[in-house]
Amino acid sequence: MIRRSLLLMLLLASTAAHSQVIDYDPRRPTELRECDDHAYRGRAAPAKECYTRILTNSSAIATRAEAAWALGDIQRANALFREAAQDTANSTQPRVRWGRLFLQAHRPADAVALFKEVLQGSPKDVHARLGLARVYAEQFEGEARRLVDELIAENSALTEAHLLAARMALEEGRYEDVDASLDRALRGVEKQKLPPLDVYAMRAVLELSRKGEARSDWLDKALVFNPHYGAVYQDLAHFEVMRRRYKEATVLLRRAVEVQPDLWEAQAELGANLLRTGDIIGARQHLTLAYSGDAFSATTVNTLRLLDRVDEFDLRSVPLTIPSLQGTGTVDVELRMRLARSEAEALRPYVQQLASDSIASLSKRYGFEPREPVTLELYPDHDDFAVRVAALPGIGLLGVTFGYLVAMDSPSGRPVGEFHWGSTLWHEMAHVFTLELTQHRVPRWLSEGISVFEEWQTGPTPGVNVTPDALVAMRDDKLLPVSELDSGFIRPQYPRQVQVSYMQAGLLCLFIEQRWGFDKLVTLLRQFTRDTSTKAAIEATFKMPAADFDKAFDAFLRKRYATLLAGSEEWQKRHEEAGNAFKNRQWNEAILAARRAIEIYPEHIGDDSAYLVLARALDKSGQRYEAIDVLRNYRRVGGWAPAALRDLANWLDATGNKDEATEVFVALNYVDPLNVDQHRLLGERLLTANRAEPALREYRVLMALSPQDPAPAGLGIARSLRQLGDKAGSRRYLLDALASAPHYKPAQELLLQTIEERKTNE
Amino acid sequence: MNAWRVLVGTVVFATAATCQAETYALIVSGLGGETQYEQRFQSQADSISAAAAKLTGAQSRVTTLKSAAATRESIRQALKTLAGKVKRDDRVMIVLVGHGSFDGEEYRFNVPGPDLNATDLGQWLDQIEAGEQLIVNGTSASGAVVDRWRREGRIVISATKSGGERTATRFPQFWLEAITSSAADINKDDIVTAAEAFDYATRRVAESFKADVSLATEHARLEGDSAAKFQVGRLGAAALSGVDAALEALLQQRIGIERDIEAVKERKATLEIDAYYDQLEAVLVRLALLQKQIDSRAAATAALPGGKS
Repeated sequence: MIRRSLLLMLLLASTAAHSQVIDYDPRRPTELRECDDHAYRGRAAPAKECYTRILTNSSAIATRAEAAWALGDIQRANALFREAAQDTANSTQPRVRWGRLFLQAHRPADAVALFKEVLQGSPKDVHARLGLARVYAEQFEGEARRLVDELIAENSALTEAHLLAARMALEEGRYEDVDASLDRALRGVEKQKLPPLDVYAMRAVLELSRKGEARSDWLDKALVFNPHYGAVYQDLAHFEVMRRRYKEATVLLRRAVEVQPDLWEAQAELGANLLRTGDIIGARQHLTLAYSGDAFSATTVNTLRLLDRVDEFDLRSVPLTIPSLQGTGTVDVELRMRLARSEAEALRPYVQQLASDSIASLSKRYGFEPREPVTLELYPDHDDFAVRVAALPGIGLLGVTFGYLVAMDSPSGRPVGEFHWGSTLWHEMAHVFTLELTQHRVPRWLSEGISVFEEWQTGPTPGVNVTPDALVAMRDDKLLPVSELDSGFIRPQYPRQVQVSYMQAGLLCLFIEQRWGFDKLVTLLRQFTRDTSTKAAIEATFKMPAADFDKAFDAFLRKRYATLLAGSEEWQKRHEEAGNAFKNRQWNEAILAARRAIEIYPEHIGDDSAYLVLARALDKSGQRYEAIDVLRNYRRVGGWAPAALRDLANWLDATGNKDEATEVFVALNYVDPLNVDQHRLLGERLLTANRAEPALREYRVLMALSPQDPAPAGLGIARSLRQLGDKAGSRRYLLDALASAPHYKPAQELLLQTIEERKTNE
Repeated sequence: MNAWRVLVGTVVFATAATCQAETYALIVSGLGGETQYEQRFQSQADSISAAAAKLTGAQSRVTTLKSAAATRESIRQALKTLAGKVKRDDRVMIVLVGHGSFDGEEYRFNVPGPDLNATDLGQWLDQIEAGEQLIVNGTSASGAVVDRWRREGRIVISATKSGGERTATRFPQFWLEAITSSAADINKDDIVTAAEAFDYATRRVAESFKADVSLATEHARLEGDSAAKFQVGRLGAAALSGVDAALEALLQQRIGIERDIEAVKERKATLEIDAYYDQLEAVLVRLALLQKQIDSRAAATAALPGGKS
């Protein structure tokens, strides 16, 4: 079961890191220098003429390949590099450059293969390793930092290594390290007589990160050096996207394509960014432009294909009324739901209900009312969702929030029981508040932490449940200091560190709430209404050094999980024993072992939770009331496995707890909302309990889900409306149901009953 | 809503037609190969056979051949016998369950001894004169026969879309559900048509694969024009219509009211909405009252010695 959303926004930003323009390899043919100089200065016409001349006249194939590349003829450059690579004696540098070409052509796997090929023959080739480091850095792999550190240790004058180090430090918020790296990089370019454009761009980003303003002397310097250097704006935008400041990124990307209209990556990124903010028309325009200049980008092609199918989605806008923060009256918030037409009617009621509840709850808790419409998009095809958020299918996210726009998997996008779509929606809605309240300045860890915390505290499956891998990290002292926690999300250093970081972030919020009260969490969040660092915000809020805060958090964890940390081995043993005993139908043994496992680790609610074993073993051994209590406890700590909830509801029913059973069936709608039988059953139960309004909702959904057999749903709607006093509406639905199925006896009986009543009243 | 009109309308004619014609059925279960399949196929054949007896009104009009008895020769003989007694106005339903195979050229139905191929079966089927025929081939690879067996007046249903879908099929189980429960009876007239049963079974097959989170290995096909009127299952009072003249008369009255309902629905576009519902209500009330009489009579018939329940 997957419960939480993986908001790997860094993947969204990864495409924005612009490809290398400047070749820092000293082996670059000197023949190209004159042309490069024109290109670096933005003198397009002479550069073109110069490269064309070389392409025509040069006797060196690799040099002609470079010229073709600089002229934008990727196919020809590829063919020439392939030819150059045949010359085994001198193919190292051309192969590295060929790899770089693949990187620009959005084929990182081919680039990696070429770099590795080079390294087989020349294991120490610096530029092949730099190429690899760049690929890893763009893919946010922890390996990148190790490789760059290694290269710098071997040769401290490697300009590109310092630039990469600076970029990674910037992404992780280590600004002092950025300063040092850029100083070294500048010395390198001056020595090599290369353009300082990348250094200027990175300096501009550093200023943006520190001061919050995109305008800077460094930006001006870059544009003085090259007035058509759009990449400086693209770099600035990249870091704004990293911080989820999409509107700000859009302004910068517009500037990038203004000064350099053929900067296709910026055109594509502008399109993607407009899509993040809901501007489909603008997105299509810029993505089409990007495609016209760069047909190799799978992300651009995939997104355009998805946009071509926009008609398959239904966009519905509804006004929500939530209590005003002023204490009296209400305010309206517009909710827009973009749902696949095939399931829109069935899902909309639950999406709307959950969105409404979350907005009301979160606005009150965080003292912030949405100022723009909130858009929710649910994708039944996971690959469509993946394309929507990162433009590449096959990415394992569940939901992504771009500010006021949330995109996520629809419940039909994954097998039933794999994720709790209601919790995912709640998690994402919390991001809407943390992002918008801080104008997207909130650090990743706090935004994720609050989302996880809100799932635990106010979501549809409340209960603090920490996964085993987080506890292992806790035991092994692998949790990060709060001021470095963002790096656990951005560039994980060990498997599942991202998931561990989610848990740690949630626990940090829980710690703050329990130690200082919930208001302090809000105070901490509000620190980020201006540009500040985690360290400074922690110190300002809690009046203690960040290191002391970390110590207090550690003590909190050690106390809270003392039993588990001391008994983790026993838990593992009991947990396995319980499962094995159950398989062997040894109910008593299963019960004993499962009880002990729950005592040690009461928050474990995964697929193989001891609660589930215990409940079933108790039921099998004739102790149904005890089994019910176990599943009640399981729900209390956040358990939601659909099969377990169905067992609980049926057992409650069988033992006369009808109302509680109904509530459990209602909860199932937020796990498995497209189950026809579930709605039929729930509609009947609610009607029997004289709860016509929710019954009506169930029958309307049933109608949407079973268009091939509308009579039972039509009758249900008729009965609900009748109970609500809408006789005319009830009559129409009843007659429509009978028109589709004239012999439907329950409907015939209701018809005769209404006729009798009418006669009596006349 | 148009689809409903067509469906209800055709059922009216179908019910009327049963007065003159007889329905015959042949159910064959082939070799299972493994015990679980052997048992499953036999059980399905028995249940489909029982449902066919209700449909045809007499066990004598149903022939069932199972496993060891379902040889190439006995099937040939059964079809020959059927061809000898069936008249032009009659209907014939043939259901095959078991394993099938397709080698790229020829489909084979696995039976004890020499297998049956699609060519031979097709020739024997062509000897049957009945104007309305339904062949349900629920075996694996059954899609290979659809185009070869198509004829005017014949509906061919296969569990798979082609001979390439070779995995043991789920379709027959859901077909059985369709013809023996009210789940597939969309218009609730106690009569399940081939179209209703096919829609139900294909939907349930798809749901079962989805529930298993596995790729669907079968996609059923239906070819032929009269599936919406070809009856494959009778439930409740409809199952008793052949044994009680009074009940039969009431069911004939019901056909008249069904025509009236269709007529009102046809006029919907020309009527004020309130007038439409008033007229519809009036005729539906007549039907509901008649249904009470039918149910009462059916209960009495079922309670009679020799009556069916």
